[in-house]
Amino acid sequence: MRLYVLFQVAGWGFFIALEVWSVFAFPEHESVWSRSTTVAIAVASYCLGLLISHIVRAPMTRWGWKELGWRSLVPRLLGMALAASIVWKGVEIFWIHTVLGLPWNTRYSIPLVAVMEVLYCTIVFSGWLCLYFFYNLFERLNRSEIERFQLMSSVKEAELRALKSQVNPHFIFNSLNSLRALIDEDPARARMAVTQLANLLRYSLQSGQLETVPFEDELDVVNDYLALEQVRHEERLRLRLDIGADVSRLPIPPMLLQTLVENAVKYGISSRTEGGEIAIIARNEGGALRIQVTNPGQVARDGRGASTGVGLHNAAERLRLIFGEKATLRLRSDPPAQVVAEAVIPLALRS
Amino acid sequence: MKALLIDDERLARNELRRLLAAFPGVKVAGEAANAKQAREQMAALKPDLLFLDVQMPGETGMELLESLEPPVPHVIFTTAYDEFAVKAFELNAIDYLLKPVDPARLAAAVERIPGTRSPGKAKPASAGRLDGKDKVFVREGERCWFVEVAQIRLLESEGNYTRVHFGDAQPQLFRSLNAMEERLDPRHFFRANRRQIINTAWIDGIEPWFSSGLLVRLKGGAKVELSRRQAQEFRERMSL
Repeated sequence: MRLYVLFQVAGWGFFIALEVWSVFAFPEHESVWSRSTTVAIAVASYCLGLLISHIVRAPMTRWGWKELGWRSLVPRLLGMALAASIVWKGVEIFWIHTVLGLPWNTRYSIPLVAVMEVLYCTIVFSGWLCLYFFYNLFERLNRSEIERFQLMSSVKEAELRALKSQVNPHFIFNSLNSLRALIDEDPARARMAVTQLANLLRYSLQSGQLETVPFEDELDVVNDYLALEQVRHEERLRLRLDIGADVSRLPIPPMLLQTLVENAVKYGISSRTEGGEIAIIARNEGGALRIQVTNPGQVARDGRGASTGVGLHNAAERLRLIFGEKATLRLRSDPPAQVVAEAVIPLALRS
Repeated sequence: MKALLIDDERLARNELRRLLAAFPGVKVAGEAANAKQAREQMAALKPDLLFLDVQMPGETGMELLESLEPPVPHVIFTTAYDEFAVKAFELNAIDYLLKPVDPARLAAAVERIPGTRSPGKAKPASAGRLDGKDKVFVREGERCWFVEVAQIRLLESEGNYTRVHFGDAQPQLFRSLNAMEERLDPRHFFRANRRQIINTAWIDGIEPWFSSGLLVRLKGGAKVELSRRQAQEFRERMSL
């Protein structure tokens, strides 16, 4: 903005200075006007030019000229320069001769002078417009460059975080602890739990390399995970699965459902003395796969709740990177006391 | 020594009970699955030792401990994986065990517990004065301490809280100064003014102060003013 003011003042000031200088440098220049009149009219004229150039920016922005390519922009700019010049000179001639009543300061015919003046001003205006659009172009280039870098770094960060936050270590060690107790209490159940923990760890280590996995593969692992959580929480964790028959082969990002379920257990079961029910609902809705994971509780809004939202934020970012803007992941409160995490994944992969 | 196991997982409590069977000096008197049950059990059983899980539904182990009326029993924390808690424990030499519990580490932790208290010694909460060896649990941010009453130099009122000065720390205690005064031994602790209680064992020097008052300097640098009335009481008490 400051740069714009500087350019405007400097540019138009230069023309005014040139005019004033010529009046004094060539005193023999025949004129019916006094020197001061000539200078005053030149200053007024260029100020009018400045005003017009300032006003035309708004409609050009509104018409989206800043986003146009070369081929469509150049003729428009020339047309704009011509139109602005006609207005400029029209107002000027009308003002000088009709309002002020000054005599014609030339021996050439009026139409010829008018045409010459308009042509001259068109050139001045074209120059102005060129500068203006060049500056805008560079600014836009810079901005898009910065945006690209930001996007790249956020992708890298998301990848890194996805790698780091595979399975919650607190869960692993707690599971190992319950497992040790289970060895005495229920050896058969303990053997099964070892297999389930192995499945979960293997999947979380390997699936990171895949972009998508079939829904049923992820669900198998989530079932293993939930079985282990049930060993820990016993009757405090209850489950309800409602999976559509036609969703098993649909692609989802690995660890997406796992992240949602882990969150649900963390905030809906682990932190509540009375525990509760976790429901997993998956439906093929024609154009999209809709996955809902519900747990008892409320969405923490005040920031004082235990949730930092990092896990869900990562999952949402990953979802968008793979499936594009149509894929969504939302967390909402479902009255009276339920939290629903809902992922909608379009069935067509982003090209 | 009577121990209470506090953990939200039944299997974790079972496992600890099984491990503790190897220690004849430790008798598991009861179990609790959350802070509320723990309070009930403590009132009923008066345990000398707590095995306390850091992460629990509702109140965490830390929050439970903070809310207890001092003196607190000896505490061994248990946690599966909690970088912050473990760092806090290590900084202040607080006993903790990582789950699954290593029997050798459990043995080391149990051995460190100073002398077996006689089970009858535990007094009902709110009655009785705190002994110099009794411990108060305080926490500030990620740091936490079991501070011996004798180590406290100065207690300052901050509304409903009390700032406790000991070592090089001065965390807040979730109790009013008046409530603390009732529990402190008047032979060692003196109410210097409306806002402060000093531990007379930590007095470094005494100077006469304006209008027959006194200025008491404590080891560690704090200075406390006594009005004329309090100075008089202080002189009487000290001359005894």
